[in-house]
Amino acid sequence: MSAPLITFRNLDKWYGAQQVLEQVKLSLYSGQCILLAGENGSGKTTLLKILAGLETPTRAEVEYADTTQPWKTAVRRYRREVIYLHQTPYLFNGTVASNVAYGLRFTGLNREQQQQALARGLVWANLTEQAKRPAHTLSGGIRQRVAFTRAWVLSPKILLLDEPIANMDDASRKQTCDLLGRMKSEGMSIVITSHDAQPFETLADVRFQLENNQLRPCELHSTARESV
Amino acid sequence: MDGLLGTTQQALQLLLTGNPELWTIVGVSFSVSLKAIIFTTPVALVLAFVLAYLDFPGNRLLLSVFNSLLSVPTVVVGLLLYLLLSRQGPFGDLKLLFTQTAMVVAQMILCFPILVALGHAAMQAADQRAWETARTLGAPPWYAMLTVLYEVRFALITAVLTGFGRIISEVGASMMVGGNIMGFTRNITTAIALETSKGEFVQGVALGLVLLLLAFLLNFLLGYFQGKGKLLA
Repeated sequence: MSAPLITFRNLDKWYGAQQVLEQVKLSLYSGQCILLAGENGSGKTTLLKILAGLETPTRAEVEYADTTQPWKTAVRRYRREVIYLHQTPYLFNGTVASNVAYGLRFTGLNREQQQQALARGLVWANLTEQAKRPAHTLSGGIRQRVAFTRAWVLSPKILLLDEPIANMDDASRKQTCDLLGRMKSEGMSIVITSHDAQPFETLADVRFQLENNQLRPCELHSTARESV
Repeated sequence: MDGLLGTTQQALQLLLTGNPELWTIVGVSFSVSLKAIIFTTPVALVLAFVLAYLDFPGNRLLLSVFNSLLSVPTVVVGLLLYLLLSRQGPFGDLKLLFTQTAMVVAQMILCFPILVALGHAAMQAADQRAWETARTLGAPPWYAMLTVLYEVRFALITAVLTGFGRIISEVGASMMVGGNIMGFTRNITTAIALETSKGEFVQGVALGLVLLLLAFLLNFLLGYFQGKGKLLA
């Protein structure tokens, strides 16, 4: 297996006197999908937000680009490579197109290149016809697709998804899993939290269980790979 | 009853005939209050954002102070500013007492806590995911802040309108630091107080009608923007 994109070690998180994560170690590989399971309140979302740089761990070391650094130093370097998607995606006031284009202005692309990336994204997710629709009028499934496209156009190396198919109907679940499969095949590293492993059985390569504040590998299916 | 009706009729005539003295007073009011709200809004909203999104020692204390200042009497602000700007005061050399600048400063002090407290409430009610989504999509902190402000813009416009309503209708601070000088620092509220004390009610009623009209307009706008906020939430 190739070298990991990023490795988190000795990751601890305390909320006051309560420990939520203890000595977590996790390596993320290009083109690999990790399924993260655990009870409600087990710390799955906290872990994802720490990986995304949206929450601060009490302690953590990060190995990224051949150097090991404390989380606080490393997060400035790797943040642009990681995108976190909420369980219920947040769409800004505006149209589908303005939402998809949101992050492009921070990429250094000129206006024309941004327009091209936007058009590619809309085609990729079959959203071209919805481009001018106000975001607040969209159904749950389409909102999720807009959020995925908004992430996809930025070509992140790592995508973190918090319960991406919760409260979705079967058709929307299938669409979401298809999009995730395409992202994975493009080389993205994907981490998914979910109560239900079944929909991700073909997508996920490894499965971890977050239990008693610790991350433990567990069997997903016969082809499961060990990565920790 | 006839007296009140007659006075109101004369007041309307005064308004509709474009009485220059009356409209100068209205102009001073709007000029001072608009400057105060325009200068205060950006700083107050940034502070409200900092209080809502950053956890630092003294955060809650600072918020309590601003909440307490919501009900500070305008004459107390006027008195404090008078002492600071009077010749014997520490800022006496600036010679700002009885100027429109002093009135602007007084009104800025009055509307600042309103904007901070209401702005903070609006941002606390905002969806935390807006900030996180902006940041994870690569927005630098200042841009993510502007994004959040835009997301709650209707609540923030409500805060600004509330602040404007408070300062354009206040009398105590403007009277004390402005000095009620005709054509210079006399505004609607200080003029009404003066005319009433002289027993000349026509101009007072005319100016009162302007204030009432403004109050209706502000309330209409408040209702409109509050409704907008709900519609898009």
